[in-house]
Amino acid sequence: MRTLTLLATVGLLDSPEGRSTVIQAAQAGDLAAFEQLMRQYERMVLVTALRLLGSVEDAQDVSQDVFLKLYRNLGKVDSSGAVSGWLYRVTVNACHDVRRRRPASVPMEEAGEVASGAADPQQQTAAEERRRVLQLSLRLLSEKERDALVLRDMEGLSTEEVARVLGSSEATVRSQISKARVKVKGFVERYFRRRV
Amino acid sequence: MNCRDWEERLALYQGGDLPRHEAVQVERHLADCLGCQLFHSGLKEAQELLQELHREPLAPAHFAAVRARVLSELERERRPAGQTITSGLLAFWRSGWGLGFAEVAAALLVMLVARPVLPPVRQPSKQVPAVSGKAVAPAVLPPVSPNPNEASPVRAGTQGAHVTRRIRPRQTHAQSPEPVLIKMVPDNPDVVIYWIADTRGD
Repeated sequence: MRTLTLLATVGLLDSPEGRSTVIQAAQAGDLAAFEQLMRQYERMVLVTALRLLGSVEDAQDVSQDVFLKLYRNLGKVDSSGAVSGWLYRVTVNACHDVRRRRPASVPMEEAGEVASGAADPQQQTAAEERRRVLQLSLRLLSEKERDALVLRDMEGLSTEEVARVLGSSEATVRSQISKARVKVKGFVERYFRRRV
Repeated sequence: MNCRDWEERLALYQGGDLPRHEAVQVERHLADCLGCQLFHSGLKEAQELLQELHREPLAPAHFAAVRARVLSELERERRPAGQTITSGLLAFWRSGWGLGFAEVAAALLVMLVARPVLPPVRQPSKQVPAVSGKAVAPAVLPPVSPNPNEASPVRAGTQGAHVTRRIRPRQTHAQSPEPVLIKMVPDNPDVVIYWIADTRGD
């Protein structure tokens, strides 16, 4: 039954009407429909949280909170028609909460925990190091700069969308993004030059 | 204009965040400035690395773990509280402990019902109480034998209960007051109520 429901919802999420149908089914208590909704947005939420926090465990905790909030606010989200914007906003806020609770214990190095496709150990080590350096560079940014950069350059949101998610003006977001890009560039160059 | 002043604009240009007319100005400057060309290529490289990092797939187990946690939390929330309590009680009953627990509970209940309800008992004081000067005889007490052992209990019917008062001999001022023992026999033959009063007539 669950499989049938899952199959029935596949593809529905691609259109706004289909998404609304799935949301309404989830709202009526269909957990299979809600699972389908989670599958659609789980990468977005988990990876954004991972870039903002640098720890897979923290990112998973945030994702869990975000999806539970989504379930409890399905009505509101459905009527607003912007699930991803709502999810980004809630994810960013949940990450702020985690950082406030544990400001000094963010192990950015853990963010390298990915499914690596590189078979060559040397290549794998280089990729892991690059990943670690980039995560460290994100850690050097202020909270606002990191939020703006992750949403704009990594998640690919427009400046306007970033401003809406962060509740700032576009001018502020542009300033944060430009500062963040310059800082990351400086860190990455300094690190790799020293290594060479 | 100093090239440092171009840095932020170059950073915005790199991400396509400049309005067209400003982008044209940056392009003109880039065409003439080698330092800014290097700066711009560094920005481009860093941004590409970030995007590459972001594209790397996360292990599916990380997503599955979140999904499982969320769904189990939602299942738990949806289960009505009554269902949980009922199923817990059924399991307890089936385990064999339930019957024993019920027997003990029934025995306790019987003991509780049969337990005589005593009013608060004041301990007889060994000190001589302050006396006002004249002894006041209780108004309702019938005549009694001075010897408590010989005293024939006087039964007074009081609303479905029999009260027997064993009256101690009258005390003198020098003697410490001896308690008065009152026995109440209600209609229920299993229940006998005693109470002790340290001052006669109380």
